[in-house]
Amino acid sequence: MEKAQVNDSELISLYIRGNEKAFAKLVQRHKSKLYTTIYLIVKDQYVAEDLMQDTFIKAVDTIKSGKYNEEGKFLPWIIRIAHNLAIDYFRKDKRYPSVVFEDGSSVFNTLEFAEDSVESLQIRQETHEHLRELIQRLPEQQRQVLIMRHYEEMSFQEIADATGVSINTALGRMRYALINLRKQLSKRAPSYDKNIYPR
Amino acid sequence: MTKTFTQDDVVRYVYEETSPEENLLIEDAMMSEPELMTFFLEALELRALMNKIERQPRVSTVQTILNYSKNHPANPPVRLRHS
Repeated sequence: MEKAQVNDSELISLYIRGNEKAFAKLVQRHKSKLYTTIYLIVKDQYVAEDLMQDTFIKAVDTIKSGKYNEEGKFLPWIIRIAHNLAIDYFRKDKRYPSVVFEDGSSVFNTLEFAEDSVESLQIRQETHEHLRELIQRLPEQQRQVLIMRHYEEMSFQEIADATGVSINTALGRMRYALINLRKQLSKRAPSYDKNIYPR
Repeated sequence: MTKTFTQDDVVRYVYEETSPEENLLIEDAMMSEPELMTFFLEALELRALMNKIERQPRVSTVQTILNYSKNHPANPPVRLRHS
């Protein structure tokens, strides 16, 4: 019989009681989503690694000091910490996101497609890499909404509240982001992942 | 009066922010409006594709985080933890 997965709240409760394995499980479960979210904001893999560490350190400090509010959900909470740290990073350095092309990022790209041929694996990786670049090159407001909705899992109303715009504006920015991505991706139609874009 | 659905409604539908009642109406609208259906399919494909571009941090980064937690000053002394 398949073992039921322990949910985040249960893992947090175990962690509060001193179970470090429960924390390791939480980290393993969410590290990829968290890292990707930070990376898409800061566009630098090394800064993203540092900020991910800082995010978890802040989370650990909060939980270990008994200040964690167990009523909320863990993932949105920690993603919010990451988001704030990423924004602080830009403010502190008086830097703002700009287009940066990746260099050597495949070292950390551990997407696994074990049953694929070398060629289709390469096409997939190129498509994924290309999509990452396209997201990073979206106009700032569109990129912000897309990251908040897709990777941070905030609702459109929450995004509207957080960014000080109406829900219709948030929705419109998301729509333009999707249209822009689709338009840019279609320029590379021959490289499409055939499993995602069957023709 | 019949409500007209827009691409923004489809965006909400794709991200599951519509009510069950709205879902039925939006699905009807997409069936009768090819442009809306095309937009829906493209948005759905993009959502699936964006789910696949997650990156992994280095193992050493994760290990640093776990070590920080293990050695945190707020941890109770080892002998108390096992009592």
